Amino acid sequence: MKTAADMKIGEKARIEDIDNSHPSSHRLMEIGFTPGQEIEMLNKTLFNDPIAFSIRGSIIAIRKNEAASIII
Amino acid sequence: MKDQTTLNKTPLIAITGQPNTGKTTLFNQLSGKKFKTVNYPGSTVEYSISKILSKYAVNANILDSPGIISLLPVSPDEELSVQTLFKHPEHGTPDIIAVTVDASQLSRNLYLVRQLINSGFNVVVILTMLDLLHKKGFDISDKKLSEILKCDVVRVNSKTGEGIDNFLTSVNKSILQLSKLSENNSVTGHFPVSRENLLKSYTEIEQIEKDVIFNTGISETFKETDLDKINKELIVLNSPGSFQKPDEFTLKLDKFVLHKFWGLIIFFLTMLIMFTSVFYIAAPAMDLVNDAFSLWSENASDIVGDNWYGNLISQGIISGVGSVMVFLPQILILFLILSLLENSGFLARGAMIIDKPLSKIGLNGKSFVPMLSGFACAIPAMMATRTITNKKERMLTIFIIPLMSCSARLPVYALLIAFLIPKDDALTGGLILTLIYIFSIASSLVIAAVVNKFSKSFLNTNDNSSFILELPAYRKPKLTAAVTSMFSNAKQYVLKAGPVILYLSIILWVLTYLPNYDPVVNENGKSEDEIVMLKNSERIATSYASEIGYFIEPVMKPLGLDWRVGVALIATFAAREVFVSSLMVILKLLIQRKTIKVLF
Ligand SMILES: Nc1nc2c(ncn2[C@@H]2O[C@H](COP(=O)(O)OP(=O)(O)OP(=O)(O)O)[C@@H](O)[C@H]2O)c(=O)[nH]1
Ligand SMILES: [Mg+2]
Repeated sequence: MKTAADMKIGEKARIEDIDNSHPSSHRLMEIGFTPGQEIEMLNKTLFNDPIAFSIRGSIIAIRKNEAASIII
Repeated sequence: MKDQTTLNKTPLIAITGQPNTGKTTLFNQLSGKKFKTVNYPGSTVEYSISKILSKYAVNANILDSPGIISLLPVSPDEELSVQTLFKHPEHGTPDIIAVTVDASQLSRNLYLVRQLINSGFNVVVILTMLDLLHKKGFDISDKKLSEILKCDVVRVNSKTGEGIDNFLTSVNKSILQLSKLSENNSVTGHFPVSRENLLKSYTEIEQIEKDVIFNTGISETFKETDLDKINKELIVLNSPGSFQKPDEFTLKLDKFVLHKFWGLIIFFLTMLIMFTSVFYIAAPAMDLVNDAFSLWSENASDIVGDNWYGNLISQGIISGVGSVMVFLPQILILFLILSLLENSGFLARGAMIIDKPLSKIGLNGKSFVPMLSGFACAIPAMMATRTITNKKERMLTIFIIPLMSCSARLPVYALLIAFLIPKDDALTGGLILTLIYIFSIASSLVIAAVVNKFSKSFLNTNDNSSFILELPAYRKPKLTAAVTSMFSNAKQYVLKAGPVILYLSIILWVLTYLPNYDPVVNENGKSEDEIVMLKNSERIATSYASEIGYFIEPVMKPLGLDWRVGVALIATFAAREVFVSSLMVILKLLIQRKTIKVLF
């Protein structure tokens, strides 16, 4: 199962699902990460965590473990 | 009771909306206040209420609140906002909710708008950041949006004030309806929060977005390119969803600022430049202030004469106040740089870059902004930690903020540096100040790490540690705005510290000059200078201050300090910024040009 945490810089993908068991899942959806949306991985810091995504015209940085709850 | 009825008569308009959508900018326009506006989501952490300026001819109170993503809060600042919306402790439920909507991020913003409408609030939608949407080559039909949402939609540029009259017209209309409906509190606070409802809401919003956003033709960024390029661009623009591309320039700049290696280097260089320039840029201005005060002090003693009150004015008051004002340029520079950083959009990037290292020691990337503002002043910085979701991370951040050397401590450091470093060696001085800053950061991090290690027993919250942060589009920081904010900050500093410094200077003068103002000393075979020095030391040794100092000496001795520092420390309880003037008066430091000499 591939998640947003596995994406490379510049890679685009469509969100399949959000893992409900992650405590941040509701907030991730509220902020716009909903199934069906296209995301692009924009930047990673040196530690590969957090990761910045382009979503709905915004740039949003989330932790790697949060990205791992976004199934693509 | 009386108060409540009068308050109830004035309608309350609450501004809410997603973080960083221009709420505070609009509030400042309407109220004439000068609250901080920052290009960082989460800059406002406290609500404020003010009357709308009389020039707008609307009799209503306006309320600014921290930004929220939804009505389901996850951090204390959001909680505060949601509570304020549903039931303000003093003002009750707001009569009108003005929701700012960042037009360049429509769908994410409409989510909150719909929650508010569904909860039964009387909503007016304010479209902001339209300039950013235009830059992408798109626009919004406010009429259509208003029809679909069944509420007023107005276009406002809160920075220039353009469109504020439209907003006020809509507000006036609503107020009239209010008085007709009288007490009709239909706010339920019930809004669906299940996953199904959330997804359904977003599906509907996506349809609304398609209906109201239209292509204005060629995006402004490509105006001047040749036809071929425009054609290529049009193909991209016509593909659906291309307004959902972040700001072009921001994406390019982030390639460097958020680059794996460069990002880290840029981050540390920025911090280093910030702390070094505080010393270097301010140095010439400090000399100027210093010269002005010494001249003033000399003039005063010439005019009033060489007696006790002349001495009180020149030594006690003017020198005392001057010794603190000398450091005003440094504080100004610090505030200027902070404000430039705040308005550029860099802070959110800094928070992202530093999140991983900070999370290792129990902090959060969102601790970065509070820690940085801790260099200006500790109390607002502690309040700024409200944006941190996790309780333990929040407490730990609050815990270490006092370790950041706040601007009030700058004078102390500068004085000690000037004291320890030979004159004219500004290079070393700047280096030492930078080292002090680095040390204060390092020590705070070490302490955070240690506390984090041992805190499990007394701070066992199982809260989710999370970092979700919007990285706003870069904006060119406006120098005029930065300078204005710098001066308003400096004014607050002077107004707060000024009176305290003045009173303490007088009290300290009394304590150090009395009761033995003109002591008798053995003048045999001594030069005039030596006599003055002898008298000075005799006077202080028999003064009230020395009695207090001797009294607390048993406590100071183990620290390697004597009674003189003890007295200065007592004075410092009132305000950190008076330590220098206290020590100055007590040690009778004479600043002569760049040299500081101790008289005894
Ligand atoms: N381009 C553009 N920038 C704007 C506009 N309105 C406000 N800004 C800028 O947007 C940034 C955020 O403004 P604020 O007023 O602090 O936003 P806020 O909604 O109070 O933010 P929080 O308090 O963090 O929720 C600032 O840098 C403003 O100068 C606008 O209409 N267009
Ligand atoms: Mg604000």
